[in-house]
Amino acid sequence: MKKFKFSEEFNRKVAPTVARYPRAEAALIPLMQEVQRELGHFPDEAAQALAGLLGVSYARVKGVLTFYTMFRREPGGKYLLQVCRNLSCHLAGSVKLLEYLKGRLGIEEGGTTHDGVFTLITAECLGACGTAPVMMVNDDYHESLTVEKLDKLISDLRAAAKAHK
Amino acid sequence: MKLKIDGKETEVKPGTSILGAAQAMGVLIPRYCYHPSLSVSGNCRMCLVEIEGAPKLVTACSTPCAEGMSVLTASEKARAARRDVLEFLLINHPLDCPICDQAGECGLQDYYMEHGLHKSRFPQTDKVRRHKRRDIGKHLVLDNERCILCTRCVRFCEEITKTDELCVRERGDHSYIDLKPGARLDNDYSLNIADLCPVGAFTSADFRFRQRVWFLQRTPSVCAGCATGCPLEVHHKDNVVYRLMPRPVEGFPPWLCDEGRMTYKSLRAPGRPAAAFCEEGNLKPAAGLRFAASRLGKLKPEQVAIFGSPFMSLEDNLALAELAAALGTKNFCLHFNTEPGIKDGILMNTDHSPNSRGLALIHAVYGGYTREQFSERLASGEVKFILGRNEEVKAALNAARTDIPSSVFSFSDEPAPGRACVLPAAGHFESDCLFINYAGRLRRARAAVKAPEGVLPVWQAADRIASMLGAPIRLETRAAVLERIKAKIPELADAPLADDTAEFYLK
Ligand code: SF4
Ligand code: SF4
Ligand code: FES
Ligand code: FES
Repeated sequence: MKKFKFSEEFNRKVAPTVARYPRAEAALIPLMQEVQRELGHFPDEAAQALAGLLGVSYARVKGVLTFYTMFRREPGGKYLLQVCRNLSCHLAGSVKLLEYLKGRLGIEEGGTTHDGVFTLITAECLGACGTAPVMMVNDDYHESLTVEKLDKLISDLRAAAKAHK
Repeated sequence: MKLKIDGKETEVKPGTSILGAAQAMGVLIPRYCYHPSLSVSGNCRMCLVEIEGAPKLVTACSTPCAEGMSVLTASEKARAARRDVLEFLLINHPLDCPICDQAGECGLQDYYMEHGLHKSRFPQTDKVRRHKRRDIGKHLVLDNERCILCTRCVRFCEEITKTDELCVRERGDHSYIDLKPGARLDNDYSLNIADLCPVGAFTSADFRFRQRVWFLQRTPSVCAGCATGCPLEVHHKDNVVYRLMPRPVEGFPPWLCDEGRMTYKSLRAPGRPAAAFCEEGNLKPAAGLRFAASRLGKLKPEQVAIFGSPFMSLEDNLALAELAAALGTKNFCLHFNTEPGIKDGILMNTDHSPNSRGLALIHAVYGGYTREQFSERLASGEVKFILGRNEEVKAALNAARTDIPSSVFSFSDEPAPGRACVLPAAGHFESDCLFINYAGRLRRARAAVKAPEGVLPVWQAADRIASMLGAPIRLETRAAVLERIKAKIPELADAPLADDTAEFYLK
């Protein structure tokens, strides 16, 4: 396995994160999220490195990594689109939204666009049923969505991605 | 702290689990994930029991006893819950028993007969299919379909060997046991995982398909693979040993190392002599002894050397020491340099010989040369014949840079330099014998199988040779040898040598 090197910024966050909990192991998920925030996904080499850092086994980190769908094991697009497909959103039209996204982006669920800008997945209830249908773009919620709103959102994100390059 | 289990009062130390308290009373609560030598995981739910007055069932393995608690291990509610847990575990389990090596010692089979006996409500075609017959390490085969995800194997690699090769991946019925990328499950203790695994998911590549477990006979013995001398059980049938298994002994870890577990292979190794190979050709074992005796008989005592060995039992070394005394030779060595100690923090010893402590006891009583002095004696040219164990005679002659005719007791037909005769010897699975491990603990091995026709243990062969030379040492029976050990070695004067169970430590 390749050796993994944590970023300076990550290393600075380790001690305060661990200090928040009674046991170092409890800092596992927050630190995994931190890695994912930086890299967009959580690579396997990082599992080994993080295990060493927290004094837990690789099996533990790998188990957590594969248990939670919120962790991405493969690199994805710049924007992770999570369309809620649970009851409230389903009734409020999320199926249509998902079909629209697949068509416009030309990818299936779980896929990433060629330009590396979007990754599309579905999620279970995002806890915002009151404003269904809901989609998350990375950490942000977009609520009460319609196809029109979605269309504009995608265009804006595309433009933002281009501007960034 | 006092509590009731199935209506009977019992008293336990605070912190004891319900499962532990019940077990101490002889009540065996079903379990898959719980293992006494691993951390408690509480994932299989098979150990559910009822506590009177509590709304829900609890897992006996992970719930500590509380004062005044009244536990019901076999109430209708508890049994029904176990039946349901078992049904869940079996939903995706393949119906493999007829071709599964675990059959006969499988936790699923056993508890199904006790608790389940249900008809499957799930069509076979809907079962989750997984990787079968995975070659996962040198000694193990993994069948992911049979696994019930108890995580014993994962915890073993985490907590005991600390090698961390395994993990549980994914969630729900997607979960499976997997190797760390790039790793192989080949730590020094991997075969224990086949024992630990309560089902047929991990099986031993060596034992697979060689014998059905219900045909096997079991004989208590010890491992002679190193100075630790782990207690083990020899599993055999029709005079063939099929496997070695750890034998539970209070205060000793229930594991064996892979190397020790494979030591039984020497019994049927292709080069193992069943006849004596002498200058005159192949002889029956008894004729081989006569040949050795006739060579010895022609020499003066100073020309004969006798070599004890930490790889031989107490009995063997005592008989060789007595033979040296009877012949009146000063050229004998019962000494061995060693620095024993557990080298990996688990079991394996830096000293590969099973009986260096035992040899030291005999050395202390009978004296003789140290290894270094012995080597000088051999180099002096005065010695014309040497009797001992093949490997050590070879090493000693190499060290002394000489070639002296020898008669060697041997477990392999590797020729010793300048040998006059290789004499076949019975191994420690073929004769009752004693060792003393590195910590001074008496270790008893019981003969599990018979040695090949006419092949004797070394002590008996030494006794025969002495008689043929007209210098009898009177060690015809093992009882006589044990008597002599008690009479000669003060440290063992009151040791329970013939008792199989009593523990004994050197002072
Ligand atoms: S392979 Fe065996 S020991 Fe490991 S989790 Fe599965 S059933 Fe348990
Ligand atoms: S540690 Fe030594 S005594 Fe124990 S099984 Fe291994 S070789 Fe045998
Ligand atoms: S169902 Fe979509 S947010 Fe709850
Ligand atoms: S033995 Fe208690 S939950 Fe598995």
